[in-house]
Amino acid sequence: MLRAYTELSLQAFASIFAHSPLFGQRGWRLSALFDQMVAIGVASMPTVGLANFLLGIVLAIQGAGQFEKLGATDMVANLVAFSVLREIGPLITAVIVIGRSGSAITAELGTMKVAEEIEALNVMGIDPVKYLVVPRLLAMILMMPVLTVLGEGVGLFAGWLISVTALHLNPIFYVSNSIDAVEQKDLFSGLLKALFFGAAVGTVACYYGMQVEGGAEGVGKATTKSVVTCLTTMLAMDALLTTLIYFVL
Amino acid sequence: MSETKHKSPYALEVRGLTRSFGKRKVLDNVSFQVKHGEILIIMGGSGCGMSTLLRHIIGSLKPDAGEVYIDGTEITKLNDLELAKVRKRFGMLFQTGALFNSLTVGENVALPILESSDVAPHIAELVVKLKLELVGLTGFEHLKPAQISGGMKKRVGMARALALDPDLLFCDEPTAGLDPVMTAVIDTLTVDLTKKLGLSAVVVTHDMTSAFRIATQMIFLFEGKVIAAGTPEEIKANPNPILQQFINGDADGPIPLKLSKDDYLKRLLQA
Repeated sequence: MLRAYTELSLQAFASIFAHSPLFGQRGWRLSALFDQMVAIGVASMPTVGLANFLLGIVLAIQGAGQFEKLGATDMVANLVAFSVLREIGPLITAVIVIGRSGSAITAELGTMKVAEEIEALNVMGIDPVKYLVVPRLLAMILMMPVLTVLGEGVGLFAGWLISVTALHLNPIFYVSNSIDAVEQKDLFSGLLKALFFGAAVGTVACYYGMQVEGGAEGVGKATTKSVVTCLTTMLAMDALLTTLIYFVL
Repeated sequence: MSETKHKSPYALEVRGLTRSFGKRKVLDNVSFQVKHGEILIIMGGSGCGMSTLLRHIIGSLKPDAGEVYIDGTEITKLNDLELAKVRKRFGMLFQTGALFNSLTVGENVALPILESSDVAPHIAELVVKLKLELVGLTGFEHLKPAQISGGMKKRVGMARALALDPDLLFCDEPTAGLDPVMTAVIDTLTVDLTKKLGLSAVVVTHDMTSAFRIATQMIFLFEGKVIAAGTPEEIKANPNPILQQFINGDADGPIPLKLSKDDYLKRLLQA
């Protein structure tokens, strides 16, 4: 299984670089990529925004409860800024994308496999990896950081909003506190994570879709497996990257 | 068509094809040839390995032993890239049509044209119109596969299979689920193509009327073996009781129908 997954991933990445479907002979491949970017990215924006908004509120309130005891409620700004950029933003965005788009990719490719559509592509001499996997994978890798930036923005805003209204913090002071608390490094480490999450979710979701056997039941099982594997892989990657960034950077 | 364009006298030649799944031999030393311009019908009961045979011929499955030659090119040992090249020369009609649901009918037929060569979109559009006219679906370009009936899907599948003007056409149950008139249309189309364009066809079917109407050669598969082969007349005259039961559609005969679960498992698991 791991071997088949690795093979598919390598083949997909090789297709991206070798044939560069982005600038391929026929422009409509680019439109396939755009279609996927809309389906995976643009359509996820409201949900990603909502999730980040809610978590921004939760972070601020939870933090306020603790900082109050120390008499340093102002520190809420630091906490929200730091954890949204470094951890919560990329993480919750990836969770939403996995649930929304990762599962959709597996189900769609799986249904195509069951309906002989992938075999039909093969018989027509069209490489299904190039035709189906590459646009989805590329869209995942490109859109995950974009969604993450958007989510982080909304999360930070939610933290600010709840702090100045419910916690009565000074709005200007909150912002300058936030800016002081984080460095560029924090933003970039979050985006680096998002990039890796995108690649992982894209390859795993496509792999499970392409290997579906046995009708509707197979599609359902593969989708479940895909979501579970995406989540665990994403969390493992998160732990690994966090550790690496902590010790290396 | 001139004979010189072909490398081999046979459009398709299968030699000693053998394949087992577990201990069960699904294909047992299957051999046959199809000359250029011929229509070969593969008959057999459900589960007799016909679809498996077709999947070996188109290169989706690899045999345990034996060779498949497409116009003289052996394909069982080719890599994906070489296989893709050979595959451009044949068209395949799938049992359910296998159309892409996200594309319109027209885009489905255009797909192999646009993907395989640098054809301008307006030329492709023209070819699509011609091919759809061929299967009696003029003006259906803008519908999605979900909006047309099962029989129409099959005809679109036929148009797509013919999109690249193949030398060799494979049909998996082309007439199942079609009404008698449409069956006749597909049959006439297949015969016309072979007569006028020198195309060869391999057709898997259970429909005996249609089979005898179009066949120039027939083979009969039973439990993975070819038990009869010949022209339609020879097949009709073949005294093999299994074959006769199948052709006549009799319920009584040597073909086992009622299997106990144990017998079935035994048959599945034994070589």
